[in-house]
Amino acid sequence: MSALAQLRSAFANTLVGLRSSPVTSGVAAATIGVCLLLAGAFALLVANMEAILARFGDELHVVAYLEPEIAPAKLDALMERALAQPGVETVAYVSSEEAAERFRRTQPERAALLDGLDENPLPASVELRLAPDQRSGEAVRAVSETLAALPGVAEIGSGNEWIEGYAQAVALIRSIGVAIGTVLALATLLIVANTIRLSIYARRDEIEILRLVGASRSYVAAPFLLEGLIEGLAGGVMGLVLLWSGWLGLAPLLRGGLTLLIGDTTPSFLSAVACARLVAAGALLGLAGSAAALLQSRESRR
Amino acid sequence: MSEADAGLQAGGGLVRLFHVTKSYLAGAPVLRDVTLELAKGEFVFLTGPSGAGKSTLMKLMFGAEQPNEGQILVLGRNVARLGPAGLPALRRRIGVVFQDFKLLTRRTVEDNVGVALDVVGVPARDRKARVFAMLKRVGLHHRRHHHPLTLSGGEQQRLAIARALVNEPELLLADEPTGNLDPQLTLEIMDLIADAAARGTAVFVATHDHALVSRYAKRLVRLEGGAIAHDGAPPR
Repeated sequence: MSALAQLRSAFANTLVGLRSSPVTSGVAAATIGVCLLLAGAFALLVANMEAILARFGDELHVVAYLEPEIAPAKLDALMERALAQPGVETVAYVSSEEAAERFRRTQPERAALLDGLDENPLPASVELRLAPDQRSGEAVRAVSETLAALPGVAEIGSGNEWIEGYAQAVALIRSIGVAIGTVLALATLLIVANTIRLSIYARRDEIEILRLVGASRSYVAAPFLLEGLIEGLAGGVMGLVLLWSGWLGLAPLLRGGLTLLIGDTTPSFLSAVACARLVAAGALLGLAGSAAALLQSRESRR
Repeated sequence: MSEADAGLQAGGGLVRLFHVTKSYLAGAPVLRDVTLELAKGEFVFLTGPSGAGKSTLMKLMFGAEQPNEGQILVLGRNVARLGPAGLPALRRRIGVVFQDFKLLTRRTVEDNVGVALDVVGVPARDRKARVFAMLKRVGLHHRRHHHPLTLSGGEQQRLAIARALVNEPELLLADEPTGNLDPQLTLEIMDLIADAAARGTAVFVATHDHALVSRYAKRLVRLEGGAIAHDGAPPR
């Protein structure tokens, strides 16, 4: 039998199955939808937390404050050695005057503090920016320790120690998301498998007739697999629409809260690829549920 | 080579059963040492009291059951040795009709016949033409868009026969095909089955109805207690 003819026939049989049990099919799709809504919510949370982490990662740097009156040759040697450290992307010298100017620019309300002094108290420094793949608390610590031992360095500062804790929080939420997602996926798989088993049982007479006229196992199984796939796709789209609706309602509140906490920031929805993956996950759940039901079903194997 | 295999290879019948014994779950055998042969185009009746093993014999022939002992050769294939793809392929060459019709109640009359063509991959255009021709042969073409449950018992059985014959099978197995029908409808159905035999299909009909045997049978196989008690011309 040609693949096209088999597909046409399987679609026709699938439609009969879906029409004959719309409630159970709807329940299966809704279950997949709710499962994917929760999984999607976790994915959304992790994606936005990672975006914040990446944003702060751009600003992540190590500062080596220099001893006063450092000789130019010593400074050149220090910068050369700093740049040679693993993970260091750029090295920049900030003079004492530049530091004062930056202070006045970034904190104008406190600029008067400098005006009252006879001499500039801010030390010259060397700022090291780390390569993107090295922007972690561990890498910052390693670079800091090496720099502190170099001659001419008075003190090390990074001011980004909280990043490490934040990165751990992101990893924790991702792990919780994966764990909850796995449990939900298994539960959904069972529900879909039972729904398809009910469908197989309800159509056992039809299956017997198909067997009688010489239908192969794949011919009998195809409509049920398609049914699971369609329910999964419908569930995936349903979950995505629910997630999007929830996002539309919550995004303005989130934006306000985040702006208060970490400055101007715009939380974003899942990327197109992530949305496609969410729907595909629904289809896969439906298909896997059907396959599990068919493997367990005596009717489909006779 | 076993005695059974040697016996199977010796003849050229369309269906050959060689010393077949069948029992269900530690019970007494339903069939005992049955040896039987059906030739191409032959029209054979199977009779016997309830529980004699008629339905089991039919099921063995289309592979719904497997024998405990003996060998069964149908259309040149050893039924016991067919793989997952072999059994469906064999069934596409056999038409089966039951007392309870076994129709797809949610499909139209047209689709009930078409399903037998779908499983062998007949293109849509040919399917329509062949279904129509088959329905016309059994007198149901005007009801092709109806559903089976809107048909009378006789019409439902005619539909089942149409489905069984649409692929022009080499063998037609009919298990009590007129058991639920009145005498007039019984003759209508039997005429259709006899017509299939006249067109070259080997037909094996299980029935309790002695009037049918007298009217149609040239050869009668009678089962008693799972064994063949008579195989030959029907007694006058």
